[in-house]
Amino acid sequence: MLSTIERRLSATLRDARRTAARRFLVDRQTGLWRSELAWLGVRSRDHARITAVLDETPDTRTLVLEPPRGWVPHRPGQWTRVEIELAGVRTSRCYSLSSAPHDPELRITVKRVPNGRVSGRLHALRAGDALRISPAEGQFVLPTHPARLLLLSGGSGITPMRAMWRALLESDAADVVIVHHARTRADVIFGAELDALAKRRGFRVVVRLDDEHARPGEGGFDEGALRTAVPDLFAGSAGSAADLEEREVFVCGPPAMMQRVEAMGLPRLHVERFAAMPRPAADPDATEVLVTLGGRASPSGRTLPARTDGTLLDQLEAAGERPASGCRMGLCRTCSCLKRSGTVRHAISGAISDAPDEIIQLCVSVPCTDVELGPIVQAAVHSAMPHERAAERTLDPREKLARRSTQKVDPR
Amino acid sequence: MILDTQPIETSGRFDPANGTAKSVVTSDATRDVTRSPMVPTSELRPSHGKSSRRLSREESDALGRELDAIRAEVLADLGERDVAHIRAVMKASGAAAIAGRTLLHFGIDPVTFVLGTSALGVAKILENMEIGHNVMHGQYDWTGDPALRGAAYEWDIVCPGDDWRSSHNYEHHTFTNILGKDRDIGYQFLRVADEQPWEMRHLAQPVTALALAVFFEWGVGMHDLRVAETTRGEQSVAELWRRSGPFLAKAGWQVAKDYVVFPLIAGPNAPRVLAGNVLANVARNLWTFSVIFCGHFPEGVRVYTEEETKDESRGEWYVRQINGSANLDGSRWMHLMTGHLSHQIEHHLFPDLPAARYPEIAPRVRAICERYGQVYATGSLPAQLADVAKRIVRLSWPRRGKRAPSAAAA
Repeated sequence: MLSTIERRLSATLRDARRTAARRFLVDRQTGLWRSELAWLGVRSRDHARITAVLDETPDTRTLVLEPPRGWVPHRPGQWTRVEIELAGVRTSRCYSLSSAPHDPELRITVKRVPNGRVSGRLHALRAGDALRISPAEGQFVLPTHPARLLLLSGGSGITPMRAMWRALLESDAADVVIVHHARTRADVIFGAELDALAKRRGFRVVVRLDDEHARPGEGGFDEGALRTAVPDLFAGSAGSAADLEEREVFVCGPPAMMQRVEAMGLPRLHVERFAAMPRPAADPDATEVLVTLGGRASPSGRTLPARTDGTLLDQLEAAGERPASGCRMGLCRTCSCLKRSGTVRHAISGAISDAPDEIIQLCVSVPCTDVELGPIVQAAVHSAMPHERAAERTLDPREKLARRSTQKVDPR
Repeated sequence: MILDTQPIETSGRFDPANGTAKSVVTSDATRDVTRSPMVPTSELRPSHGKSSRRLSREESDALGRELDAIRAEVLADLGERDVAHIRAVMKASGAAAIAGRTLLHFGIDPVTFVLGTSALGVAKILENMEIGHNVMHGQYDWTGDPALRGAAYEWDIVCPGDDWRSSHNYEHHTFTNILGKDRDIGYQFLRVADEQPWEMRHLAQPVTALALAVFFEWGVGMHDLRVAETTRGEQSVAELWRRSGPFLAKAGWQVAKDYVVFPLIAGPNAPRVLAGNVLANVARNLWTFSVIFCGHFPEGVRVYTEEETKDESRGEWYVRQINGSANLDGSRWMHLMTGHLSHQIEHHLFPDLPAARYPEIAPRVRAICERYGQVYATGSLPAQLADVAKRIVRLSWPRRGKRAPSAAAA
């Protein structure tokens, strides 16, 4: 009883202190100087400090991070949004955490994308640099009591798997099959760890390489490749289902691999997409529908035409709107928005949302009919995309200022 | 002088009959607007001996396109150095505030008092002018840094950020110098333009202007409450009360911060800290008052009527911003301390471009103004301030110094 009162009191006091700090503008001062005081060992709330940089493969590096102050331990398989500044503009990407929750440090493993601005910058970072990271998120996580598992990964899709197998090493899971696919031996991320893992009881590791196992010109991973890698998983004992159908299957890899594995129709499949989703192909049968925007951006409700073969996010941006967005692949929910009416299709799963007042993600929603949206959260990041700037330039200054101003005021 | 006998088709700009704009190509290029009996009186005021040429819509739009090109160029070039600049100013302001408060709290001699008060004053000026005003315009929204988000920034002054964003960013910057629409013309109680009707209370305006200078932050804070409108019966008392809420809350916290909590923390040094905080705030008030009054009220800056600005094109909006603002000459440091409001013209043309860019584009804006015969009003701070003071004194009397149209034509 007393402790409850005490806890409430201390929470109230803490809130009051925070409010006062904000109103007295002291919080801004502390925020301003915290990064300057890093040398004193003051840990930031949203910055992780890089303690080491490890080369994994010629184009992949692991950043070992000291977690930010107040970091809530992630679940194996979750990701964090890494934010850096490129030419003064905050830019973020999602990276799976490749360390297990019980590891003393956090790790992200970054594959350098050719001409990738973010991955290029991340590869240029050194020990001692700081990195802004968001709290861990994601539903691609190990079940609490894992039984039989298949971890299926391709290329840099292995990063969340490392978090999983490291967590599994601590548990009593007895039957873990790891199948990893890469182009060449040199491209295998965590190769040495996989070798060591293969010797552990309860773990079985199969690495498939394009240049060793596939016929020339036939690279990639498909059901056939999985059958040759682990044939026994496809065979069921007499009268029972195949082993594979009873396993929790976790898959993460390039889009083509994901599509093929999903097409197998496994009942206990968990997927994680880490590559940007391929844009819906231009459909000659696509028709034009109308999208109505609600909220303050346009009190009267701006209505604009959209096609049924592109995502709402892409099309709104092309029309000069600036909805807040993040991963652009249906993960982070930054672009979540209320759909008041109309039907949209999920670009990845194909799921249809036709009920009124459902929350949809603009980045993976393709309109099927006329759609009416609720208020759209405006982007804080002024995207550097030229068409957006062009759209802003052509705005009448009054309209623009009206959009900028946060609220109210009727000019008349 | 040659009188232009051709009547100007003022109705050509806006045809009330069918509500559409007709651009009438007249002999605009040769016509001197000061000689026309049809144009509003505001255009008759000489601005340091010259006045802007009246532009046709085509000319205005061409001017607008040139300005748009400058804007596009700067937008495309925004990057690391803009962020580095504003963060450096934030750090300088933060450091000055800490240094000033430390000197005030722990010093006992008059030297540290003066130093501490000055440092705190400088910190507040930088925070209000270069950081607060500019960030709240959304000049750094493109960075995506929450600390630089215009819609969320709160500044170190009794005026609530949200009030400022609507009354300044929207009303003043959209309806700049339109009589009856821009409430910043004389802030509803000073007569700063001949076109404002004279009232008895204007007799006292030299004194009220001085008082406003000393208590400027309170004037700014109460601006959006619309007290004058309430006394005139144009706004209900209930609405005044509703508008007062955010202001009273913000002002309460500010008073508590500068005049209660910080002095109390100082213990025996409380009177000294209180005095230092009061002086720092007043110094900031005097400085911002001076800079802001020089932005729109010196001689040569004109006001517009609602009729004139109906159906205004984007180009004409630009022309109004040029003719409604005045710059201040000065050094790099002077520009910084004014939050680059010394480039009031550039600021009004591009309120959402990072202000530190204004000095870079100013020569080009000035060249465009010259080519189109538009007055690019500028002067030193003392000269412009003297100008404004003279005008406030002159306009405190009815009809004095106001030239009749016939006089100009003679």
